[in-house]
Amino acid sequence: MTALVEVAQARVVYGTGEASVEALKGVSLEVRKGEILMLMGPSGSGKTTLLQVAGALLSPTAGTVRLAGERIDGLTQEDLGRRRLRHFGFVFQHYNLFPALTAAENVAIALDLKGVPAARRRAAAHEALDRVGLGDRAAHFPSQLSGGQKQRVAIARALAGEPDAILADEPTAALDSASGKRVVDLLHDLAKAQGRAVVLVTHDPRIVEAADRIVHIEDGRIREAAEHPLPAEA
Amino acid sequence: MSLSPGLRDLLAWRNLAHDKVRFFVTLIGIVFSVTLMAVQTGLLTGFVTTISKIVDKTDADLWLVGRGVRSIDLPANIPERRRFQVLGVDGVAAADPFMHVFAQMKRPDGGAESVAVVGFDLATGRGGPWALAEGDIADLALPDAVVMDRLYKKKLGVERIGQTIEVNGRRARVVGFTDGIRTFTQSPHLFADIKTARYLTGYAEDRLNYVLIETARDADPQAVAARIRALLPDIDVYTKAEFSTRSSMYWLVTTGAGFSLVIASALGLIVGMVVTAQTLYATTMDRLPEYATLRAMGAPGSYLYGVILRQAAIAAVFGFGAGISIAAFIVHGARDGSAAILLPWQLAVGLGLATFAMCAAAAVISIRRVMAIDPVSVFK
Repeated sequence: MTALVEVAQARVVYGTGEASVEALKGVSLEVRKGEILMLMGPSGSGKTTLLQVAGALLSPTAGTVRLAGERIDGLTQEDLGRRRLRHFGFVFQHYNLFPALTAAENVAIALDLKGVPAARRRAAAHEALDRVGLGDRAAHFPSQLSGGQKQRVAIARALAGEPDAILADEPTAALDSASGKRVVDLLHDLAKAQGRAVVLVTHDPRIVEAADRIVHIEDGRIREAAEHPLPAEA
Repeated sequence: MSLSPGLRDLLAWRNLAHDKVRFFVTLIGIVFSVTLMAVQTGLLTGFVTTISKIVDKTDADLWLVGRGVRSIDLPANIPERRRFQVLGVDGVAAADPFMHVFAQMKRPDGGAESVAVVGFDLATGRGGPWALAEGDIADLALPDAVVMDRLYKKKLGVERIGQTIEVNGRRARVVGFTDGIRTFTQSPHLFADIKTARYLTGYAEDRLNYVLIETARDADPQAVAARIRALLPDIDVYTKAEFSTRSSMYWLVTTGAGFSLVIASALGLIVGMVVTAQTLYATTMDRLPEYATLRAMGAPGSYLYGVILRQAAIAAVFGFGAGISIAAFIVHGARDGSAAILLPWQLAVGLGLATFAMCAAAAVISIRRVMAIDPVSVFK
């Protein structure tokens, strides 16, 4: 599998002087197309920071980041935004849906950001909702959906823009077991059927079986990186 | 920014209107501001307009006034021979007498009211009443005839045409009513022929307050004014616009009444601006997490500008529409009141532009906050 993202010797330091905190201490990581990569570790270990660095949300204090072969560390926030828009879809722990928009409109907004015309946007949004099994909830507002349904709308939104990778931060943390499993199965299918990379930050031991690779982070360093012994079937 | 409706328009609209209570609170702030600004500036406009109304409505190119006169209602006594002297000046086509003198009127119930007797030459009609609603202007030829505005019927205890009244202890008769000739001094105008005005105010036959000058068609009023000044150095000469402004400025700047209205109007504008800006800013800040999500998704700055500016424009349209409607209702309700509130279309347009500017300014301030959001904040 080819590397979509290559993080090399990344250091991230928050703050300055005595109050500074080194969240990442020279971490290297590759994100490959078609794999499900899970970043695990205790709270404060640096896994979310690593996701942010890999997802072009945060430039490391030191080290390099390559996205599709292009070096992106040190780019401006506006330039990083363009890269994110082109390559990534994001799924957040608390869904981060727009409460004033329906499910279909929430999905369509990802396409609007990319300048997709209205007619194609509508069709693609409904198609993405169909793919996550929520075609019949297109006109519902987030307040009318369950937690699991909201997270699936968020996945549909991340998917709609046809990204190379979906980056998900604790996507099952706010969900019950059944909903969490459904979300992970969905992400797994996306990776395997569509060849997208899926990077998940998680604490949730219930979902590790879906991983192709698990990276354990502790105290800003990778403690262990291993192919999952029992990769899930596509 | 594209003007075609799209998802940004929808997002802007729903950001405002999805939560009805919040939308109502946002609109209340802007509506209150627009209404406050409209009424305060309308009061000031009404005051200024009323002060100079007689000057503005009088068909005179130049006003000959006593030395140092600062406002039409504070006239000086000048000899009528000045009028005859002016008639000989090159470029003067006509010169008519005019008076504006305060007097005491006795109400039928025995009470007293102050009135302003306005005397003009009935033969030319220059300086006479406009907007006559009842009666006949020709009846002012009767020796004791006056015309007043029906707005002050109750104040002066006058009910009908033909009713006799007492001015400075002399009998007068109301022969007509005008509609909408207000006074700003609380002394209603009594229009009368110059002879009647002299009789009622005790002015001598050869005295008057003003000379109203019509210049020849091809003459430059400023040049004619210069020639009159050269001929009559003890008299002041103003164009109609100059005397109108002079009268308004005197009351606005040098009197407590005018100055307090200017201050109230300025405060109304400032409070309105602050409330509008603060309301819209707070509304945008309420959506900060959603803008952070858009930033994290990779939304370019122009996209966020577009949403926030659209939000401001929508709030301005609804807020101004409702606010100016309420202000128009208040203006309509106050038309028979003692204080004139005027809301001419130019003022309404100006307030509309000010509202949009305030909303845009609030949006720009909000944009600075939104653009400063760290997209990683959505992970916290």
